[in-house]
Amino acid sequence: MSATQQYVLLLGIALGTVGVVLSLYGVARSMGRTRREPGKDVPASAGILSRDPVWGRYHARYYGYALLFLAFDMEMAFMYPWAVVYKEVGLVALLDMGVFLAILFLGLLYGWSQGALRRQ
Amino acid sequence: MTVAVVLMALFGSAWLLAVIEGWTTTGRLSLAAPVLSGLAHLGRESIVPRSPDRVFFEAAPVLLLVVAVLGAAVLPLAPDLIIADLGTGALFINAALAYVLVALIMAGWGPDGAYAMIGGWRFLGQLIAYSMLIVMPITAVAMRAESLVNTAIVGSQAGLWNIVYQPLGFVLFFIAAMALAFRAPFDLPIAAGELAGGVDAEYTGVRLAVLRLARLTLVVTLASATTVFFLGGWHGPLLPPWAWSLIKTLAVAMSMLLAGRYLPRIREADLMRWCWTLGIPLALVNIIIVGLLVLVVP
Repeated sequence: MSATQQYVLLLGIALGTVGVVLSLYGVARSMGRTRREPGKDVPASAGILSRDPVWGRYHARYYGYALLFLAFDMEMAFMYPWAVVYKEVGLVALLDMGVFLAILFLGLLYGWSQGALRRQ
Repeated sequence: MTVAVVLMALFGSAWLLAVIEGWTTTGRLSLAAPVLSGLAHLGRESIVPRSPDRVFFEAAPVLLLVVAVLGAAVLPLAPDLIIADLGTGALFINAALAYVLVALIMAGWGPDGAYAMIGGWRFLGQLIAYSMLIVMPITAVAMRAESLVNTAIVGSQAGLWNIVYQPLGFVLFFIAAMALAFRAPFDLPIAAGELAGGVDAEYTGVRLAVLRLARLTLVVTLASATTVFFLGGWHGPLLPPWAWSLIKTLAVAMSMLLAGRYLPRIREADLMRWCWTLGIPLALVNIIIVGLLVLVVP
């Protein structure tokens, strides 16, 4: 199979899964409707309806980690192709990536020393 | 044909897992119980909360299921029993599993409920913790196999499984996989005792059935990934290859569920601190050890 065929197949499986779920919804709908009753659609909130939409309320206290995560995630984009040719290129590849990782790791240590690695 | 067999193996494993979990919790072995409770969900009302973000609310369970199925589609059960043996299979599974986060944020944001939303955002913090421990061990696996093709990765373990070659990577990946599947010690977005169900809280009826199925399937997919990357995939004596794949996958999945039963839920702050101050340095050490081994040992 060519790469295109493989991706088309994967797309087909994804669409097929969606189709199965939709038909399940169809079956459920054919078995009965939701009866409309007051108060039934209140979200779980200890019985009291919240005054404002809840959408503005969460403080992402892990943002210190999140910033470091960006650096590490970018690094992984380089590491996959590197890992494939690693054995072929040999020691040079290890040293190259070693320097890169060392800089990144120093960054992690610096962030740690400055208190980035805790819930703010 | 292959597609049908692989999907049957996937959902069959999920069913078997549900049966065994029911057996160990209730003490009754009932083969029909998971199917019956699924059917019962179909007959129940599926309520939409008061002011939902409808697109997110509807998309979340479906997306979670699609992700689990797509992940399983690039993992081999036997040398020729794989739906799509992509040239970048090990990368594709990462990309697919990243959408677990998207699905959970959608499930948290969609219903406009306080508990659900906290659960969703909490999982973003959980991703920041576990994510590096998924990708870095896979990199080390790819270094040994010199390939991102999943069948080649299994092929590279013919002589020695990766669990022996890089045990550190296995431990990190196993823990991170449990966090990804949000199974028990890491079930922060669900958190039955403190968040009233978290992202599960607002889903009822058929939508909840799909969400639960997706969650169970995700466990099987991750157990299968662990098998392929670290437990030598289809390799094993006597039995046919596909049988070994299934046995190992089920064993890994059951050990995940078992570990969850005996460990208390971890706090989010602790999870992040341990992952970043202990997990990531260890994962880097693992990459360096494997790098040296690959160069030194022929």
